Order: sequence, then C-alpha cells, then structure tokens
Amino acid sequence: MIGFRPAIATLACLAAVAASWAIAAELDEIQSRGELVWAADQEGGGPHVFPDPSDPRRLVGFEVEFAELLAGELGVKARFQQGQWDRLPLLLDQTADCVINGIELTPERRRDYGCSRPYFGYALQMVGRRAAPPAMLADLAEAGPAGAWRVGVLTGSAAEIEMRARAARGEAQVEVIGYDGTLDSMEQVQSGVLDAAVLDDCIVTFYADRFAALRNVDRPFAGGLYTVLTSHRTPKLAAAIDGAIGRLIADGRLKKLYDRWDLAGRQQMLMLRDAAEIPVARGRTLGELVRQTLPLLLSSAGMTVLLSCAAFPLAVAAGLAVAVGRLHGPAWLRPLLTGYVEVLRGTPLMLQLYAIFFLLPKIGLALPALVAAIIGLALNYSAYESEIYRAGLKAVPLGQFEAALSLGLTKWQALRHVLVPQAVRIVMPPVTSDFIALFKDTSVCSAITVIELTKRYSVLALSTGRIVELAVVTAVLYLCMSWPLAVLSRWFESRLDRPAGGGQ
Amino acid sequence: MIEIDSLTKRRAGKPVLDGVSLRGAEAGVTVLVGASGSGKSTLLRCMNGLEIFEGGTITIAGHRLAAGGQSIAALDDLRRDVGMVFQQFNLFPHLSVLDNVMLAPRVVAKVPVEEARCRAVDLLDRVGLSAFVAARPATLSGGQQQRVAIARALAMRPRVMLFDEPTSALDPTMTSEVLDVILDLAKAGQTMVVVTHDHGFAKRAATWVVELAAGRIVRQGTAAAMLG
Ligand SMILES: Nc1ncnc2c1ncn2[C@@H]1O[C@H](COP(=O)(O)OP(=O)(O)OP(=O)(O)O)[C@@H](O)[C@H]1O
Ligand SMILES: [Mg+2]
Repeated sequence: MIGFRPAIATLACLAAVAASWAIAAELDEIQSRGELVWAADQEGGGPHVFPDPSDPRRLVGFEVEFAELLAGELGVKARFQQGQWDRLPLLLDQTADCVINGIELTPERRRDYGCSRPYFGYALQMVGRRAAPPAMLADLAEAGPAGAWRVGVLTGSAAEIEMRARAARGEAQVEVIGYDGTLDSMEQVQSGVLDAAVLDDCIVTFYADRFAALRNVDRPFAGGLYTVLTSHRTPKLAAAIDGAIGRLIADGRLKKLYDRWDLAGRQQMLMLRDAAEIPVARGRTLGELVRQTLPLLLSSAGMTVLLSCAAFPLAVAAGLAVAVGRLHGPAWLRPLLTGYVEVLRGTPLMLQLYAIFFLLPKIGLALPALVAAIIGLALNYSAYESEIYRAGLKAVPLGQFEAALSLGLTKWQALRHVLVPQAVRIVMPPVTSDFIALFKDTSVCSAITVIELTKRYSVLALSTGRIVELAVVTAVLYLCMSWPLAVLSRWFESRLDRPAGGGQ
Repeated sequence: MIEIDSLTKRRAGKPVLDGVSLRGAEAGVTVLVGASGSGKSTLLRCMNGLEIFEGGTITIAGHRLAAGGQSIAALDDLRRDVGMVFQQFNLFPHLSVLDNVMLAPRVVAKVPVEEARCRAVDLLDRVGLSAFVAARPATLSGGQQQRVAIARALAMRPRVMLFDEPTSALDPTMTSEVLDVILDLAKAGQTMVVVTHDHGFAKRAATWVVELAAGRIVRQGTAAAMLG
C-alpha cells in the first residue's frame, strides 16, 4: 500500500493534464452525441457486469440493465467502457461519462467525485470452507489454529477497507490479502490457501452454486450503498442521473430489475426510497377520520367501561372479605389469605390473565375472554383493595370495637355495623384512585383478545397512520369516561359523609 | 348483684389486680376510687369481659365469669345485661345520634324498627337530647356526647351499668350535666359501678365505696363510713 499513493498521485497529475483535451462530457454533449459512456470491469463478475455464458460477446448483469435504463431516461443509448476496477474513477477524465460498478458511496468519494443518489444496497458476507473454522465472525477476535486468519478481499473494495480497519483496531487477528479479481479470494478459500474471504453479499449469493464447498460464515455485516460516479465538472449530468434514478425507483422499474436478478427488490426499494417519491395518499380530513373511526372507538370504550364496572365491585368485595379474614378470621385462614395477596400482588396482571385464559382450559375450564378478563382484573385488584381495607380497618380506633362489644354486638356484628362502615369511609380516596387505575389497566386485557379502547386505538392508528389525531380522540374518550367516574366517586364520598338516615 | 372473689389480673407479668374481693356492692351505686394506675379501669373492664383475668371469679347480674376467658356466647349474654360508658364516649361517628342509640336494640335484641326508635327517642329525651336525634356525634359538645353514650348503653336495658370516669374528659359545666343524668339513673334504682374522682358525686350517690391502691382493695364500706 505504501508505494501505491505516489502512483495514484502521478496518475492524477497525468489525468489533470489530459483533462484539457478529455471528453468528460456534460449532459448536453451526451445528448447530442446520443450515447452515455459508462465504465465498469467485466472481470468483476456477477451479478454486476459479466459476459453472458451462452454468448460471451454479450455483456449481462444487473448494472448493465441499470445503465441501459439510466441512459434511456437521459434519452440516449448506453455504451460500455471496460476498465480495471480499482482505477475506474480515473476514466472519468478520459473517455467515460460515469462509472457504474458496485462503487460504494463514501465521504471520500463524495469529496472527489460527483456521486449520484444510491441505486443499490449491499452488505458484506464472509465465506469459509464447510466444516472448517472460523465458524463465526467473532472467532476472528482470537488467532486461528495456524496463527492469524488469512482473509482474502477484492483490492480497493469496501471489504478490504472494513477488514483492514478491524485488524488495525485489534478487533480481528487477520492477515488481509487483496486480489484483483472478485472471485480470486473465493477460489483461494476453496483451495485451502485462505481461511476466509469477504465479499459483497450479492456476489456470494450469485456464485453460491460454483463454490459448493464454501459456506456463509455468520450473517452479513457492515455494508453500504452503491453510487454512480461522475466528474465534478459535469454537475448537470449528475443532476440528470439523480433525477433518472428517482424516477426508476418511483415507478417500480428498478424494483422489477432487482427482482429479475433475485436481488430482493422490495428490500432494496425500502433502503433507497426517498420519502418524496412515495406517492402521497389522498389525505382524509379530520372530519372523515373521526366519522370513520368514532363508532369503533366508542364501542371499544363501552368495553372498557364494562370491564371496569364489572371487575371493580368484585375486587372491592373480595378485597374487603380478604382483609376481614386476615384480621379477624380463624388462625388457619390468615396465612392462606396472606399468600393469596402476595401471589396476586407479586405477579403481573398480564400473567394472571394469561393463566386464566390460556391455562385454565387445560384443566377443562374454558372461560370466554370477557369473563376471564373480568375475573383476572377482579382477582388482581382484590389483592390491592384488601391491603387498603386492612389499613382502613386498623385505622378505626380500638374504642369503637370495644364500645360495640360492650353493647352486646358479636365480633361479626361489630365488624359489619361499626368497623367496616368506618373503614370504607377512611379508604374512600385510595379506593377511588384504584378504580381509575383499574379503568386504565383494562388495556392489558387486549393480551387475551378483548378489544378495548387502547387496543382499538393502536389498531386504528396503525392502519390509518393518523397517530396523533386518533390519540387525541382516544384521550378525550378516556376523559369523558373517567370524569363521570370521578364525579360519581365524589358523590359516593359525600353521601357516606352524611349519617345514614332512619333506622338500621 | 356484683360479687368478686380473689380476682387476679397480670399485664406483662406484673399484677395489675392482685386478689381483689368485693362483696358489699349490691343494688345501688358502687363508687370505685383510687390513685391513677391503681387498676380501677382494669377492674371495670374485667367485669364486662373486655379483659381476660388469670385468677378468681366475677359474678355480675347473674353471670359468672371464670378465669381464663369466657365462651363467645357467654360474653354476648353478659354484655346484654352489663352496659358500659367510657371516658372517651366512643360514639359511632358514622351514625346519627338516633342510630347510635338504636343500633344495639336492632342488631342484638332484634327489636322492630318502630319500637327501637320510640325507645331511643325516649332515652334521648331522658338525657335531655331530644333536639339532637338527627345530629352527627361530632357536632355535639363533650357533655352531650357522653349523655348520648349513656342513652346508648341504657337502650339495651342493662341490669348493671359501668361508668369509667365518665366526666374526666369534660369541663365543669358539662360534668354536672352528665352527673345529673347519672344521679337520676341512680334514683330510679339503676345498679351501677362508677369510677370517679368526683368527691361530691360520690357523697351524693354512692351506696358503697371501694378504694383501690396498687391492684388491691385497701378500704371499702358505706359512703357515710368511707367519705365521712
Ligand atoms: N393496655 C395496657 N397495657 C399494659 N399495661 C396497662 C395497659 N392499660 C393499663 N395498664 C397498666 O395497668 C395498670 C392499671 O391501669 P388502669 O388503667 O386499670 O388504672 P386506673 O386506676 O384506671 O388509672 P387512671 O385513674 O389513670 O385511669 C397501670 O399500671 C397501667 O400502667
Ligand atoms: Mg382508668
């Protein structure tokens, strides 16, 4: 590599001299000439540019077809210009208008040349012999059985740059060996001279049949984008090529081309597309959006209300019973109830819903999703409510209990008429906020196929793409529901604040 | 009506009541006096089954309480016949004054609503609170609250009423309101045991006076003999 730089400098000087009479043509010249001269190295091989095996006089390859499409867009014919791959850019000052041959888009190239928008994306793939190390990319971190791994690359390729960088950083114990022919490195791996080769993934795939003794090592890594190189002196040509690529992408011709070459056209398009080329769907007005989605959102809101209003009273009743049992029940019952509370509080609601919906059927108890959801919510919240009620019951002064007993009430009568009614008042604020919490927790029920408001929102947001507008509508619906709940609970609170009227 | 035989009660290993025997407290007003911490409240609470004691027996209103606690049924029976009024009133704050008084007759004695209400209104009238039937306890003065508590205990028509310093949380005017009610009860023949520091009340009402000191009865006798 050391002697290489002066060589490039010399060539660059020669090129600069040559530039005075060279034919780096601008767009109007090309169009009047009727030909776009594109440079590539047919030795580079498939699937880029290579002689047709059945008629070696003809060149084929996805870049050949791409060049023809590109020229067509400029209103001219494509003419191929052979060059040595690592010196192709120099031809821009000679006879070529552009270079189309797996040239990676890099910051340096953008500085030195006109670079079109990308027309292809690739990744690097390492190949090795079957049943021989390395088995994984990570294996390169340590030296191989015979010292540093010998890894072949195409000289000047992204693979060479990447592997040398890894070696320099000490990430890979490799000796990087550069070859002028794309397939040389794979041949050398097959013959056992090299441990591995690193190439563009499309090349590995294309020649997989020929190198049956080789296998892919690990997944593709690194990678980048191919660009069409032009000279800085031909900005109009560069702009015209960009425009042409944009049209080829937008109207699907490039995707068809890649699909024909089995190059994952759809993925390529996803990589290459600019937002501007994606046709903008006709916008729905906010009115239309609301009209179309509101009925669905409303019915799901109804589900949310149903879940909350069915589950919470059950949770409160069960929670109260558990709290009373833990404080006043028989001794054998108390640890059982403590276990009940800790299990339900210590495991996620989601898991409990799964257990009820998916596991109970295994012991022959299949519940409809809605019933499972209500039971799950009620059980889960009963644990929390029981803790609240336990604290509430403890907060009632002992004198209240003694006064009730001294009047002849039994323990259970005292609980029923004196302690629990007071505890209920004491715990009103935390219980109310738990109701609102449960109200929001109903969204977890979507995990067991119950479609409530949040689930409906995410489905609709995904399908319409109107994430923000629907979020606002959904939030308003939630507020419309929780507001009355808050008012209702305040009303309960105020009602409980007054003495119970009449007799018992 | 009340007979206590060598009652022993310990708390944390220390005797709080130590061989208390009480005989003279027949029908009438027994006043329990003694220094703070001498065991007056504890003795009263034992008589209502709110405390378990380790030794001796209590016979009260025909119920016999043995050491080591009573059956739940026995306690429920006992408490119908022995009412208690606490120093801190302990009214039920979530119920109106009327409902405080009606609760036990309705729930324990299963008295029909109308009858229970009549009885409660009568009792509240008797303690001078007929104007407050619908009020919440919290809105009443301390003296009024204690009178409600007395009415509430009377609603079960107990044969014995226990008062534990019923006026010590009250200022002098309210104290006399409450003591007047208790005196009226005494005149009407209600058997009661009253823990009090009020010398005047003891003199006017007591038929039998018992003095406790450090968990033992040090003196007991008629009011005339004890209070001079
Ligand atoms: N809950 C309790 N736990 C432990 N010790 C107690 C408790 N209640 C009372 N005692 C102790 O028992 C003893 C008797 O208390 P008691 O309340 O019966 O006294 P008292 O004569 O009523 O006093 P006072 O005039 O202050 O009310 C005291 O030494 C007291 O410290
Ligand atoms: Mg006391």
